[in-house]
Amino acid sequence: MKIKIKTNLWSGIIMGALSLILLIIMPYQVRVPAYDSGAPSPRIIPGMCLVLMLFFSVVLIIQSLVFKKERIVEFDWQKEKPAILLIALLCIYVALMLLVGFIPASAITFIIILYFCGERKPFIYIFTIAAAVGIYFLFKFVFTVSLPAGLFF
Amino acid sequence: MGDFQMIAQAMLQVFTFNNLFMILIGLVIGMIVGCIPGLSVMLGIILMLPITYTIDDPATAIILLLAVYVGGMYGGSISAITLNTPGTNSAIATTFDGYPLAKKGKVKKALDTSLFASVCGGLISAVLLLLCASLITKLVSGFTSVEYFSMGILGISLIAGVSGNSLPKSIISGMLGLFMACMGMDAVTGVTRYSFGTNTLKYGIDLLPAMIALIALTQVVQKLRDFKLSGGKLDDANKIDKEGLTGKERKSIIPAILRSSAVASILGAMPGVGGGVAQFLCYSEARRTSKHPEEFGKGSLEGIAAAESSNNAVVGSAMIPLLTLGIPGDGVTALLLGAFVLHGITPGPTMFTKQGIMAYTIILGCLIANILLFPIGLGMTRTVAKIVQVRYTYLAPLIIMFCFAGSFAATGNTKELIICAAVLIFSYILTILDIDNTPLMLGMILEDIMEKNFVTASMAYDRDYTIFLRRPISLVILVLTVLLVISLMKMNKKIEALNAANIAEMEAEHAKMEESA
Repeated sequence: MKIKIKTNLWSGIIMGALSLILLIIMPYQVRVPAYDSGAPSPRIIPGMCLVLMLFFSVVLIIQSLVFKKERIVEFDWQKEKPAILLIALLCIYVALMLLVGFIPASAITFIIILYFCGERKPFIYIFTIAAAVGIYFLFKFVFTVSLPAGLFF
Repeated sequence: MGDFQMIAQAMLQVFTFNNLFMILIGLVIGMIVGCIPGLSVMLGIILMLPITYTIDDPATAIILLLAVYVGGMYGGSISAITLNTPGTNSAIATTFDGYPLAKKGKVKKALDTSLFASVCGGLISAVLLLLCASLITKLVSGFTSVEYFSMGILGISLIAGVSGNSLPKSIISGMLGLFMACMGMDAVTGVTRYSFGTNTLKYGIDLLPAMIALIALTQVVQKLRDFKLSGGKLDDANKIDKEGLTGKERKSIIPAILRSSAVASILGAMPGVGGGVAQFLCYSEARRTSKHPEEFGKGSLEGIAAAESSNNAVVGSAMIPLLTLGIPGDGVTALLLGAFVLHGITPGPTMFTKQGIMAYTIILGCLIANILLFPIGLGMTRTVAKIVQVRYTYLAPLIIMFCFAGSFAATGNTKELIICAAVLIFSYILTILDIDNTPLMLGMILEDIMEKNFVTASMAYDRDYTIFLRRPISLVILVLTVLLVISLMKMNKKIEALNAANIAEMEAEHAKMEESA
């Protein structure tokens, strides 16, 4: 399945909508300080960014619809599926790391990732698990950072 | 303290065992990362960043990262010569002559030329950096926070102008970066901005996990995807022979090296140009002035020398605007600016007045890294070339684990892991929308400096925001921003067309050569 994405139009729509929503909710998300310290309002910088984002999103939409200036990216599902699955697996990796800790999460996730990538050599699996243990202790003893141990330990 | 005194003191600081050891490690890691196609010098620097947290002296930390940059620029040529696949974008022009020469069985000669040219180019630009830095900082010493805020706008606009294909998209990307860095507690007023009531966003998005996700993880996912799609097939590499560069040949390439280093040093010092552009211009210039232009594209040593000296010459000169003005010229220098910020250093003229010794230690470190590249290159190239042939499934899990562990180490809070994953998803969406994420990264890096200067300027001028247009130097910077972005975009379009024609011509030449072989 291949989808042709009009990136100028869609960037304009998505980024425009995002900046508009963020601008609308600004009064609730950025409260004005109770007393005046003489400093500029904390809303100025994010506000300027969002207004500029909105402006250039409109420019992109006009470029696409009025001037027909478009950059089309072909989204090939067959090609992108592995990337999306890998990103999903990395998100699961984070969740697992928070639950069961760095070493078990790395072992589980990378066994799945390596298998998914078509790797069948047993040594690479052993090497990866050993590397997870190595990195854990490298951070613990050399960099004095204890990587997440999970909720159960 | 005068410049010479500071340089003398910096000299003592740079020649410590610790610094020299870091330079060696950085060079080797840079060579490895630069050598592997699909992994950039930026990834090497990102992987090293969490490690630099454990280094007490910020100058040593920056020197390590610079050594990775120097090593990476040379490393890119190893795979360009042995595989015909440039390890980094800056080594594309090296394939023009490096690969044909390798096909003739003269791999060592090509690699030696590349190493010699890289070292010379790097050294020339590092000396230029040493000479220019103090001069430029004296010129801009009258800058106040008003001008610094305008310089921030100039920096983001330049990167937005030259990265990606569309200016509106790149500006959106830069603004997104600034916005993302605004999230969380505001340091001045103590107000929480866009935390959506979550603890994860209450203290904002930390720079390190965001950079790791934007650059390193995004790259590794793409490379793993390609591995899966290609079924793990590896390209055949040319074996490295024993016949190196002779003294006569070395002499013959010196004019090309000097010319390319000079051109690339000037180009590299212009923000928004970078190594990718310099190599093609230098290659064309070397061919135009060569006594044997017919050999170009068929394995000319001058061709390799021109391309390689130019991309290493950019390293030193790209540091000129970064160190003196705080403006990064491309993605790598933007990342280095991030490293400076993470280590509590603000590059710019004040760095030379308040932390002069540190500034010169960094510059001298860059110089030493270029000198040490020669013995390291001679000794390690063969080993590094073998790493390209290591299956990617060995490296990818290692890099990913290191990335997540590194982002966690930034603050020791598990929220960094969640932010890392979220930014990775966001970065993928941006890729689909064809929005370049370099301006976003720079926006995130510059936000803190820009907002601080904005607040200082506003408070000093009683919240008169027109001050940015009323102070003459600030106005000049803002006008320059518009003019530079327009002219750089035009120039880059022309150069891109020239480069595409160059690449097409060389590919045709290589195809002809392979047919006749």
